[in-house]
Amino acid sequence: MSALLEVRDLHTHFFTRAGVVRAVEGVSFSLARGEILGLVGESGSGKSVTGFSLIGLVDPPGRIVSGSIRFDGQELVGLPQAAMRRLRGARIAMVFQDPAATLNPVLTIGQQMALAVRAHGRASEAAARDLAARTLTRVGIPDAAARLDAYPHEFSGGMRQRVAIATALLHGPELIVADEPTTALDVSIQAQILAEMKKLAKESGTALVWISHDLATVSSLADRVLVMYAGRIVESGGVSETLRAPRHPYTRGLLDSLPATARPGEKLNQIPGSTPSLLALPPGCPFAPRCPRADAACATDPPDVVTGGRLVRCHHPLAVAA
Amino acid sequence: MSAPDRQGGEGSGAVDRPIPDRILVAEGVTKRFDPRLSLGDRIAGALGAAVERRAVQAVSDVSLAVRQGETLGLVGESGCGKSTLGKMLAGIMAPSAGRVLVDGVAPMQGRHKATTRIQTVFQDPFASLNPRMRIGATIAEGPVAHGLVARAQAPAMVADWLARVGLDPAFASRFPHQFSGGQRQRVAIARALAMQPVMLVCDEPVASLDVSIQAQILNLFLDLRRDLGLTCVFISHDLSVVRHVSDRVAIMYLGRIVESGAAARIYTAPRHPYTQGLLDSVPKLRLEADDLATFKPIAGELPSPLSPPPGCAFHPRCPKATEICRAERPLLTPREDGALVACHHA
Repeated sequence: MSALLEVRDLHTHFFTRAGVVRAVEGVSFSLARGEILGLVGESGSGKSVTGFSLIGLVDPPGRIVSGSIRFDGQELVGLPQAAMRRLRGARIAMVFQDPAATLNPVLTIGQQMALAVRAHGRASEAAARDLAARTLTRVGIPDAAARLDAYPHEFSGGMRQRVAIATALLHGPELIVADEPTTALDVSIQAQILAEMKKLAKESGTALVWISHDLATVSSLADRVLVMYAGRIVESGGVSETLRAPRHPYTRGLLDSLPATARPGEKLNQIPGSTPSLLALPPGCPFAPRCPRADAACATDPPDVVTGGRLVRCHHPLAVAA
Repeated sequence: MSAPDRQGGEGSGAVDRPIPDRILVAEGVTKRFDPRLSLGDRIAGALGAAVERRAVQAVSDVSLAVRQGETLGLVGESGCGKSTLGKMLAGIMAPSAGRVLVDGVAPMQGRHKATTRIQTVFQDPFASLNPRMRIGATIAEGPVAHGLVARAQAPAMVADWLARVGLDPAFASRFPHQFSGGQRQRVAIARALAMQPVMLVCDEPVASLDVSIQAQILNLFLDLRRDLGLTCVFISHDLSVVRHVSDRVAIMYLGRIVESGAAARIYTAPRHPYTQGLLDSVPKLRLEADDLATFKPIAGELPSPLSPPPGCAFHPRCPKATEICRAERPLLTPREDGALVACHHA
């Protein structure tokens, strides 16, 4: 079976007055139907720009300069806007971090969901409202039909994010790109949303790209994980193998930075320094200046080392635990 | 001391035990925010009509004590009152009822902060540093104004603090925008510590930082706390961060402490159903393929503090709730192992 999504050597750059920001630099991965992929990294790692590239929403001064994104066999890079709009919201949907910013404050939930329904086909008002109500029920909004006439401000943050997720689900998309969808939510609400997303992906066979800085969330949701640093994928693989025995020193450092992995009160094994500016990245491995294993070899681009479904881009990868 | 108006300060007896070396004490602290009434409502009120005042009680009758050298973690979800409580403890917001004592002295006189012995570090170092002041001037301003250091010695003092928080002393002449988020938080910590406080109130100090930078700031915090023997109140929504830095933890829900006790006990054997639900909600790092992620989310949403549920505020979401929970608010009562729990069924 061929992959639903096939990204090959994607480069997305931003042409700013200060110079060219190479936000995504040679990203490749594929995604099967029904698979949940966690895209992990810190600010400036390129994880969100990768997500925006997938849905064709990279705004100037940014653009995809090269590479290929094949969705169900169709090339998305260079696709005319009109064709992209037919896909987006129908077969590819997205959910963003801040539902207060993605919902229109002057339209009721029912009105804006009906707009989304009719953007991809004819439907009577009653049919659109009915579909909206049924989808809201699926994401756990009680008494959905009555709540269609409420405005976004009448919902809590968690409920607004459910509305955003329901809107994404309206057309039964094959792929959902979700960018930090639970970051702004309280833990008890985040747990509810994670449980529902996992169930929806399993039930409907929707593939999910889950972009997050939170390794714990990704580990409990995703099947596979991609770790990004300075616009590149530095490591990828099955989520439990990768996080149990990471091979890239950066992934190791991220895990060691989590208080949950240390004994309370003990010093964390921190990564020194901070993420580099993408404007003036020196040649070679971008992590080398912060890496405990770096040596002279790291001044050249590290190779992709592929073993048993896992990839690590490093001159000196950590040994795989037996 | 004015008694809280209606509650009569039931929780006031719930200070852990008399502790001789407790440095911060809060007794029956309450904060109400009254809405601004419209002109019509004010006239109606003056004429004796019953005007509905939808006051928010952000913090209700909280009593706690922090010992010398101890770190108390305050945990809760948005709107639980943890930041409001932190401001009252830090002496930058006056309680509506109850009192706060730092070393036996109220940190506020009237509407003004009256002590330098307690300092705060806030979440957003972009908002808490003056963008037009060089950071050297920002750090020196307080100590010079309070006579803690002579103006002539200020540059040396600034250089010393910058080095201690891991920044190049030459950065003193830079402006906040020239720093990254993590560096700005180091500046904010240096500014607070240059006041030579005995206590630090940290409100979400690492919440807006990347994971690798968060680890650096937590390590810095642990080092400075040890070297200076600081007493801290550490406020966070992040349960794993709080566990890492705290000796004791207090869990808040809708303005009240529902459980408090030793951090190690709370995380291994939580008693209050809300604490249990909160800990179950936190995504765990799942490292074994067969270690299936199970979510046991707490049902429902946080109630509005404008109209808190009667009885136990958690009862509409609580799996153990019975008739008594709907009728009667449980008091924070001490248990045999020194824990304090406000639950009829725990």
